[in-house]
Amino acid sequence: MTAVRRRTLALLMPLALAAALGACGGGSDDDARKTTDRATPVTHEPIRIGSKNFTEQAILGELYRQALEAKGFDVQLKADIGSTEIIHRALRRGALDMYPEYVGVLLSEIAEDRSRPTNAKAAYEVARKFEQQGGFTMLPQTPFSNPNALGVKPEFAKRHNLRTIADLKRLRGRVQIGALPEFRTRYEGLDGLREVYGLTNLRVTAVESNERYTALDSGAVDIASVFRTEGQLAGDSYVVLEDPKGLFASGHVAPIVSDEVLDAHGPGLRSAIDAVTKALTTPHMRKMNAAVDLLERKPAEVATEFLQANNLLSASSEGS
Amino acid sequence: MGSTPTPGVVSRTTLAGRVEFSGPRDQGGFVLRRSLRTQITTRVVALSAAAAILLGAALVSLIAAVTSQRDAARVAFRSQQALSLANQLEKSLLSIETGLNRYVATREGRYLRATQRDLAAYPAQTLRLGRLVSDDTGQQRRVQALAEAIRDYDDIWAQSLIDITIEDGFEEARSQVQTNGGRSRLDEVRAQFETLFERERAVIRAREDAAERGSSRAIALGIGGLGLVIVVGVGFTLYLRRSVLRPVRRVAEATGRLAAGDLSTRVPTQREDELGELARGFNSMADSLERGREELEHSNAELTRSNAELEQFASVTSHDLQAPLTTISMYAELLERRRGEQSDGDLDLVDGIRGATQQARTLIRDLLEYSRAGRGNLNVEDVPAGVVVEQALEQLAGAIEESGAQVSVGDLPVVRADRVNLCRVFQNLIGNAVKFTGEDTAHVSIEAERDNGDWRFSVRDNGIGMNPDHARRIFEPFQRLHGEEDYPGTGIGLAVCERIIDQLGGRIWVSSSPGEGSVFHFTLPVATSQRAEPTRVGASA
Repeated sequence: MTAVRRRTLALLMPLALAAALGACGGGSDDDARKTTDRATPVTHEPIRIGSKNFTEQAILGELYRQALEAKGFDVQLKADIGSTEIIHRALRRGALDMYPEYVGVLLSEIAEDRSRPTNAKAAYEVARKFEQQGGFTMLPQTPFSNPNALGVKPEFAKRHNLRTIADLKRLRGRVQIGALPEFRTRYEGLDGLREVYGLTNLRVTAVESNERYTALDSGAVDIASVFRTEGQLAGDSYVVLEDPKGLFASGHVAPIVSDEVLDAHGPGLRSAIDAVTKALTTPHMRKMNAAVDLLERKPAEVATEFLQANNLLSASSEGS
Repeated sequence: MGSTPTPGVVSRTTLAGRVEFSGPRDQGGFVLRRSLRTQITTRVVALSAAAAILLGAALVSLIAAVTSQRDAARVAFRSQQALSLANQLEKSLLSIETGLNRYVATREGRYLRATQRDLAAYPAQTLRLGRLVSDDTGQQRRVQALAEAIRDYDDIWAQSLIDITIEDGFEEARSQVQTNGGRSRLDEVRAQFETLFERERAVIRAREDAAERGSSRAIALGIGGLGLVIVVGVGFTLYLRRSVLRPVRRVAEATGRLAAGDLSTRVPTQREDELGELARGFNSMADSLERGREELEHSNAELTRSNAELEQFASVTSHDLQAPLTTISMYAELLERRRGEQSDGDLDLVDGIRGATQQARTLIRDLLEYSRAGRGNLNVEDVPAGVVVEQALEQLAGAIEESGAQVSVGDLPVVRADRVNLCRVFQNLIGNAVKFTGEDTAHVSIEAERDNGDWRFSVRDNGIGMNPDHARRIFEPFQRLHGEEDYPGTGIGLAVCERIIDQLGGRIWVSSSPGEGSVFHFTLPVATSQRAEPTRVGASA
């Protein structure tokens, strides 16, 4: 109910503003026309895509934005939004139309499903059904999986003979984990580590996403909350601890889109999104992450290159 | 062009025709020059129009400058309003963020309520801001983007955070606050605000500069226009002085000379404009005046000549008639003497002839006197009137004595007159006063007093007087109010008096009523040698 009302308000606001400006003789006519001139979309509103506040999400946001725009959709990318908790609520409230989400995170943090499905397909199905109930469609997930993980410096692993997360229990005293602030209250975070592995000696040091590895390098923290596909993990600089109890669930990404928007734009939107999703394999994703994190390139550029290479920027093609 | 009767052609023909008629040199060249030359009226109108246009242009540019200044002030005011509103909006966003964080930290509902109140207010504020920057499309776009960014902050961050506190609790929310998702979103908004401010300030500066340039240009235009107007005005004045006033003065001076009697005065007529016309008109007037005076002189001379002939005729006639009348009278007397004893009856006849002859002689004498009165060479000089009156009284002594009249003479002045003729005037007037008496003893008084530049003499009596209606008639020759048997005389005396006084430059009149006596007045010019000092002469008889 509130979601619908909020969305209506959100839709009306720019209209009212445009009307006010237009009435005063401004030149905002062009903007208004842009939304109506496109042949493919039926609706007059741009598709609002959200992305979270770390590299992979920034790249994913750009990938979907550019691919949809190439297909003639009017898209608005709202990047750098924040944690799953915030972005998912924004989606549910109608402030966003779509965003790419990690299936495991969705299950543990939003659906609060602690059953830890054993395979990715099962996890996806649970998540899809959960979203369906809320009026959202979870489109097919990516080939790549980027689950949460814990990374340490090789020296640290060697010194304490660490191989799996369970080994952390042997550490004496306080162990500092460098992570995003939400790690403290997440199941795929401190809660789960305590519950599943019985780790009570861990303390979270809240850092920005891009500071996790530097904090690890400088010794400010002992462990960092990482993602498997992050570029930094490509070499031998860090060791990822194994997760034998499957705390960190599926790391596949699936775009969640509002049914309303899917209906409004027809099957063209769905196939355009799927074409991008299908192309995102782990090596590709890792390469793109590395390009941004290590080579300091812009997510938009990296996304463009990938889409061009996969023939996803031409208006007619369906992708490789 | 000639055959179609368009108004322009008609008027041109009329002008050419008029010029041909009025111009003294009616050659084709002159007509052409007249129609091509600029008339003074045209020049004056053209100069006035030029000055008016210049002044108008200067005024218009000044008005434009003032208007643009006013517009700039309005726009600047709007921009200031926009700036202050944007500032306010930015502050309220910061307070939203602070309030939200405080709510999450303290769990106090008042922070949430304040935050929600502020969140509800921003759409109206951004709308207002949009209206204030409506004349700059770039700013409109910025405000639109800003409104969207604020909405995103509200929708995506603030509302989600509030939901988290409700659904997942404050602990969860606090960790969300720590992600700085709201702060970074707000920083973006604030960066947009900064761009908006900078741009608006630039807009203000640009507008102020434009207005400044416009007003400087207008002031320069105004000063230039004013200078031009002054130049045109001075030129106009000089032109008027040289080309209009000077010729007009020349004509005025010529008019003065003409009025003073110099009818040969003419003015130059080279000019072909209105002043040329004036000069030609003046000359033609002077021509006709001169011609008129010549004619007048001619007819005057003619008149004088015929008058002299007439007088000559009267004089000769009366003189020549005297001789035969004297002869008739002599023969009648001779006849009476010779045949006195024999013919009683014939004697009466002879008496009749003699009486009639005498009467004819008297009439002829008087006629001669009238015709001679004031004629010939008048010896006008300063004459003491008292002396003249004395002479007159001496000659009238017999008549005065006979009537027993009392004559008194006042202080009489020296006047400009002919002695002999003046004496005759007094003789006639005093003689009449003594003659026309009633029952009482006649009293005659002669006095004089100043009457402006003249002396006014009066001869007063207490005689029978006359009806005022006859006051004019008595001055006509041979006019009598009474019969010969009552008062003798031919009635020529007063006519002679009027003629003499008239010749001496004065006038004569009577005031009287029956039984009340009469007063005869006459005026004479004051003596030139001695002024206004009456000569005392006392006399009585």
